[in-house]
Amino acid sequence: MDNKKIKAGITVFPGSNCDADVYRVLKSVFGVNASFIWHKDEIEDLKKYDFIVIPGGFSYGDYLRSGALAARSPVMESVKDYAAKGGIMLGICNGFQILLEAGLLDGVMLANRSLKFECKDVYLKTLNTETPFTCAVKKGAVLKMPIAHHDGNYFATESLISGLVRKKSVIFKYCDEKGGITAGSNPNGSIRNIAGISNETGNVMGLMPHPERSSEKILGSEDGGWIFKSIIKYIKEK
Amino acid sequence: MDKTKKQAEKLFGLSAEEYEKISELLGREPDSFELGIFSAMWSEHCSYKSSKVYLKTLPTEGGKVLIGPGENAGVVDFGDGDVLVFKMESHNHPSFIEPFQGSATGVGGIMRDIFTMGARPVANLNSLRFGSFSHQRTPYYLSEVVRGIGFYGNCMGVPTVGGEVVFDECYNDNILVNAFTIGIAKKDGIFLSSKCEVGNIVVYVGSATGMDGIHGATMASEEFDLKKNKKRSTVQVGDPFTEKLLLEACLEAMEKKLIVSIQDMGAAGLTSSSFEMADKSGKGMLIDLDAIPLRTAGMTPVEMMLSESQERMLIACEKEKFAELKAVFDKWGLNCVKAGEVIKEKVIKFYYKSKIYKTLDVDVIVNGPEYKRPVKKPEYLNKIKPVKINNYKIPENLNALAVKIITHPNIASKRTVFTQYDYSIGTATVVPPGFSAAVLRVNGAGGGKNKPKKGGKGFLLNAGGNSRYTYLDPFTGGALAVTECARNITACGGYPVAITDCLNFASPEDPEIMWQFAYAVEGIKSAAVKLNTPVISGNVSFYNETAKKDGGGTYVSKINPTPVIGMLGFTDDVNKALTPCFKNEGDEIYLLGSLKGSLGGSLYMELAHGDFRQKPADLDLDYEVRLQNCLRSLINKGFLKSAVDISEGGIFTALAESAITNPEKILGFNVNCDIKAHGLRIDEFLFSEFEQAFIITTVQKPDGRRKSETAAILKKYGIKSEKIGVVEKGAMKINGIINLKSDKIKERYYSAV
Repeated sequence: MDNKKIKAGITVFPGSNCDADVYRVLKSVFGVNASFIWHKDEIEDLKKYDFIVIPGGFSYGDYLRSGALAARSPVMESVKDYAAKGGIMLGICNGFQILLEAGLLDGVMLANRSLKFECKDVYLKTLNTETPFTCAVKKGAVLKMPIAHHDGNYFATESLISGLVRKKSVIFKYCDEKGGITAGSNPNGSIRNIAGISNETGNVMGLMPHPERSSEKILGSEDGGWIFKSIIKYIKEK
Repeated sequence: MDKTKKQAEKLFGLSAEEYEKISELLGREPDSFELGIFSAMWSEHCSYKSSKVYLKTLPTEGGKVLIGPGENAGVVDFGDGDVLVFKMESHNHPSFIEPFQGSATGVGGIMRDIFTMGARPVANLNSLRFGSFSHQRTPYYLSEVVRGIGFYGNCMGVPTVGGEVVFDECYNDNILVNAFTIGIAKKDGIFLSSKCEVGNIVVYVGSATGMDGIHGATMASEEFDLKKNKKRSTVQVGDPFTEKLLLEACLEAMEKKLIVSIQDMGAAGLTSSSFEMADKSGKGMLIDLDAIPLRTAGMTPVEMMLSESQERMLIACEKEKFAELKAVFDKWGLNCVKAGEVIKEKVIKFYYKSKIYKTLDVDVIVNGPEYKRPVKKPEYLNKIKPVKINNYKIPENLNALAVKIITHPNIASKRTVFTQYDYSIGTATVVPPGFSAAVLRVNGAGGGKNKPKKGGKGFLLNAGGNSRYTYLDPFTGGALAVTECARNITACGGYPVAITDCLNFASPEDPEIMWQFAYAVEGIKSAAVKLNTPVISGNVSFYNETAKKDGGGTYVSKINPTPVIGMLGFTDDVNKALTPCFKNEGDEIYLLGSLKGSLGGSLYMELAHGDFRQKPADLDLDYEVRLQNCLRSLINKGFLKSAVDISEGGIFTALAESAITNPEKILGFNVNCDIKAHGLRIDEFLFSEFEQAFIITTVQKPDGRRKSETAAILKKYGIKSEKIGVVEKGAMKINGIINLKSDKIKERYYSAV
């Protein structure tokens, strides 16, 4: 199967601002047939997409809470339906926040421990390589990707966390360069260094760091590319 | 009559003479509406009345310049049908009154200037000046200004890729916030404010008009008195989410060719946008004040005209296309209302409550006064003499002093600042903040299917200026601001193309300040001409001074003259971009250029001997051009692994920063330079600043071909190069005198600010 035949849908809310980056990377780096989904298109049939990306940004200016208003946008009904039917869906940064607000993933985002916006490169330890988002990643691999967020401090109750752990839904944790999951390598105070989780069925993942900004060597890291490569591999092998 | 006149002076910032002139032009006393309009348009901020005569002397054409000063921003040709649009603007006064909103709306305002032209903003820079690092209010200003910049730029999705943060006690009572934005457009997709046609509809789009920012332009044209807090309502309130929608809506409407002419409502809001569009188009307008969307019911006409509410634009559009234009703004959930019409007669007719309210002549309003203010060489300059080095003992512990310098707030890393800005959005930032110049690629060059080797065009950005050197020698300071930006761009592998300037000074009514201004502009001009970097946009901020109480009396706290330059450079191959950090152990370190060893104005003189007020070295601009061309040739040949200029903190700092800013490892160096051969003392060698020289590194033992080609390049430009050491691990060593542990210095360098 040619990558060109894989169809990716990228949601666009007012204030989304990583939509164009995801679009360009999917198209020009991975050769995927990407297109935008405008937030008001409530009846759009999402079935035609092989996967959906909810990109980062400041949907609705982050008013009320990050992701709260977008989660209640017309298109989200179709998005929820798509997820319920097992569709592959990746939420990046604000997209992760939207997935939490929409109830598609468990937990909440608090403001960073520093109470500041943090933009920097972080390292991620891959805990589960048997997901549509990580199936091309080497077991235990450490990936370098940038974060850029104000509210990335993931929190969930102990019982939720143990559920996530049991179901292998904790996919990425912040770590140091060598893969050590340490307090010093946690950029935002996330509970247990959690950077990315999936839903119970494994078809929806939220991730705070930006894989689209780390898919080309010239930008300092190609590691984020593994996530897109995994999705493509998974779809091809499905 | 006397009452109104008094009011004019007190409230509206016009002088008695200006008030007389207005009365003469109108043939009667102005009423309060007219007075409001005149005071805004004739304010220093909008009219450039004190600076115009000097700004006219700057080079504004040639090279790659397509549009120079006069429009919302300048435009340069980027090849392949692409253009880059950029400008820098100050937002000093609002930021001092309310640092969060002041800096945020400064960023919002400059981005609007860029997308008004049809360009999508692709990068922001800023130049920030705060009071002394230990001043009690500095932490407040620093954190709020940085938060404001991040708040606006991050939400807009425009990366903030660099800039500078400087602390100096001269800014204790007047901080400076200069914001720079660059955008990219197609050459045939540029929009101007001068294209209105008779019969076009005048359309108001964006946020509703509120009571914020009224008299903002006037406020920014006055010094602060003792009641600064009363001016809080003159500061605008920013909403980056609305501006993001406005950006997308404007670009979509432009793409669909629904806009004839457009200008953003910046300083003096509806007043300046309507009068300037009319004037530049040689037309007039009907403006229906009843149509203006209001945030506060019952605003008076003059309040509507002077409001500086953010995120608004004035558009001229063809009648038949209005419905389509409105559909675009509806899609983005923004106001889009018919607010008037373009007419032939060069007047603006205001309708209010369905009747003609006022008719004002465009030329009369727009052609404000122009002054050649008196100048006088400042007294203090007579005391500024070259350093007599023999009067100063070399400090016993140079290592301790070196540590003091590398950890000084003006030298140490500003990582805690720039990590609050999203610098990686856009997937274009090839060299992030924290190095000399930012390097950006376009159209995904050098990545994706065009795997790195192929390369692709990119551009480089740098902003800065040194107010101490400008204070000590206004001409040299002005010239240095330009050359220093060019050095950074050249050292990162680019060639300088054009500049924008922000000229921050105290009151122009003080002849000594005007003298500083005149010479600083002369310095900028000289360097810009030599380096072939025309000035394509910019702004002037006067009145950066504050009346202070001192015991029984009062005094005026003034900033040092602070010309800030924002420079754009190009590269044909982003893969050849060079970072200043050392790369590998064993690489050879060379000094390219020559040393003067002048310590006047240096951080060393301040820290070691308690006085920086001595004359800095003169700049040899012809040599500078040769030196930079020589360096560029060496970089383009691919011979260099790093290059960095010698700026604040001298050679020691240039070497130390090169060793510790490599993100992958901690390096050191062993330098042994025959300083006697240079006729220098060790302190002159280590710490003299802004030398016309670079520190460069090459691979270990370059082969014969490379050696001979290098020699030929050096000969061609008449530049000397001297091997002074090698890159090592672990320690920084210079002439057996400096010996510091790299890891310790690295830790302190990154944690000092």
